[in-house]
Amino acid sequence: MSDTKEQSSIPTSKVERSAKFVTTGFKVGGNYIKHYSKKLFNPDMDRSELNEDNAADIYQSLSELKGSALKVAQMLSMDKNLLPQAYVDKFTQSQYNAPPLSGPLIIQTFKKYFGKSPAQIYDQFNIKSSNAASIGQVHQAELNGKKLAVKIQYPGVGDSISSDLKLVKPFAFRLLGMSEKELDVYMREVEERLLEETDYELEVRRSIEFSNACANLNNIVFPKYYPELSGRRIITMDWLEGKHLREFLATNPSQELRNKIGQALWDFYNFQQHELRAVHADPHPGNFMITADEKLGVIDFGCIKEMPNDFYYPFFSLTSTNLFDNKEETIKAFRKLEMILPNDTPAQVEFYYTIYKQMISLFAKPYIADTFDFSKTGFFDELFGFGEKISKMPEFKQARGVKHFIYVNRTNFGLYNILHELKAQVKTDTYKPHVVERFEVDAN
Amino acid sequence: MATTESIQKAYINYVLTEGQQPKSVYVFAKKNKMPEDEFYRYFGSFDAIEQFIWADLANRTLTEIKTQEVWGQYSAREKALSFFYSFFELLKSSRSFAVYSVKKQPKGFTTPAIFTGLKTAFENFADEILKEGIESTELSDRKFLSKRYKDALWVQFGFVLHFWINDNSAGFEKTDEAIEKGVNVTFDLFQRSPIDNLFEYGKFLAQNSGLKETMGFGN
Repeated sequence: MSDTKEQSSIPTSKVERSAKFVTTGFKVGGNYIKHYSKKLFNPDMDRSELNEDNAADIYQSLSELKGSALKVAQMLSMDKNLLPQAYVDKFTQSQYNAPPLSGPLIIQTFKKYFGKSPAQIYDQFNIKSSNAASIGQVHQAELNGKKLAVKIQYPGVGDSISSDLKLVKPFAFRLLGMSEKELDVYMREVEERLLEETDYELEVRRSIEFSNACANLNNIVFPKYYPELSGRRIITMDWLEGKHLREFLATNPSQELRNKIGQALWDFYNFQQHELRAVHADPHPGNFMITADEKLGVIDFGCIKEMPNDFYYPFFSLTSTNLFDNKEETIKAFRKLEMILPNDTPAQVEFYYTIYKQMISLFAKPYIADTFDFSKTGFFDELFGFGEKISKMPEFKQARGVKHFIYVNRTNFGLYNILHELKAQVKTDTYKPHVVERFEVDAN
Repeated sequence: MATTESIQKAYINYVLTEGQQPKSVYVFAKKNKMPEDEFYRYFGSFDAIEQFIWADLANRTLTEIKTQEVWGQYSAREKALSFFYSFFELLKSSRSFAVYSVKKQPKGFTTPAIFTGLKTAFENFADEILKEGIESTELSDRKFLSKRYKDALWVQFGFVLHFWINDNSAGFEKTDEAIEKGVNVTFDLFQRSPIDNLFEYGKFLAQNSGLKETMGFGN
């Protein structure tokens, strides 16, 4: 009965995770109060103490999370890439806990961006939000008999992401005893993606692009987006009726139906990765709906990761056995991905070659055969076990791997996880990676 | 023939281009080709013009928000939020004047003379919504304290005004945040809170302190 246990353990850790952030929020709030009460008596006091207090509390909650919630990311992410991953989760999660916007602020936001109140724009607009999106909230509306979802962003989210990252960064470096230079490239990648998520105009453009590009995939539906009713802080789209993953699983769907949804999900991701070379990088269960006519609805294209060729080819070529049998070419690929670094000694090259080869073969398992059964816990135990082992190795204390790994790993392991929850058997040869068997030697 | 509006306009135009008040009403009147006594028919002084402009902004805000469809469904908290948002939205169109007018006021705790009209309008409004809130039990009726609620709101208003003057975020988003967070905290304090319960409990214990003896412990 390990299956049932596995399932019931997931929501619990989610609750624990958000609870963790609530306490951090309290502590940070307390730090501000402490700061201002001290400042009353000593007006010259600067903010450095406050910043340190905040950073310490935020960092503490991050490192407490490190063990459990981020095990999967640990896998390929070589310990140090994992910190930025923690930030991703921390910031999206902390925005989740924001109190709902007041009615007057919603009206104010509409007036600011459209010059009209919601009542003047839609036939009907529910001022009470129906649920929270990652950095905003969703309202139900109606126009010309069509049910709409209106997403409104919290004011100042973009600013607070940048300033929070700035605040915590130097302090975290010091605590970890590593150089800012080493981590900076990962941090910037994360900041870039997070800031992109706050750009709703970009999100609407991409949502339309991606839903058009994926329109021919089987069993996938996208809401229609309305650019004329969207702006920098507001997105209007069709309201998708359906069940969230957990509600869907609670209805005890047949194996056939679970396979159908799992297949749709697999095709959706692998079509994007291997044909579009840009991928919806947020495979969070909340971003999907299962509709009454048994289709997978995809909402929220806030986070898109583009994969440049100099990452795509070396990485995905490693998923083919032909390349892997050629040690020389494999090492070349590892060098391109900065998993093996120019200054490594021959012994180190040998060590990282062996470990990374194991790791990637594990990752590529679903691609090797034509079908893969994600319900089997064995594969996941192996993944977690390997992640655990690596996280304890001193060789992985140093950051390795190009920045693109952060979001590509998040995407693929997120996808594997959802398929596991679905217990789906999936045909994995529908959209296969494009591989090369030889690499050009770089001039540099 | 001058009107209140034309004098206001000419005055704003003058202070924004010159950066200071005219030397005298005589100079101002002459520049605008009107006899000096014409000016006094409408305003007693230059400060009176500024006072009028600020009060007028508040009154226009009030008319606007009270005609909104949702107004009737709003709680006291939402009514206050609505006033703050609409006031600063309206103020955007006269930001240069507002910055000029606020910045030349001496720093201190007393309300500058130019805000007297605005303060009256604001306090009448605050009184009205706070009474409603107390009647509907949205807000807690506390002895002595509930009479001071409106002062807390006025202080908050002053704070947001200064915040907005120094706000350089796009679309004054930071001010929106300051309003949302600040007004909510203030109203949280007006609501029944653990402090009230603690106070009640303390009162109960004080009144029943004889209980220990009557219950006969230690006999």
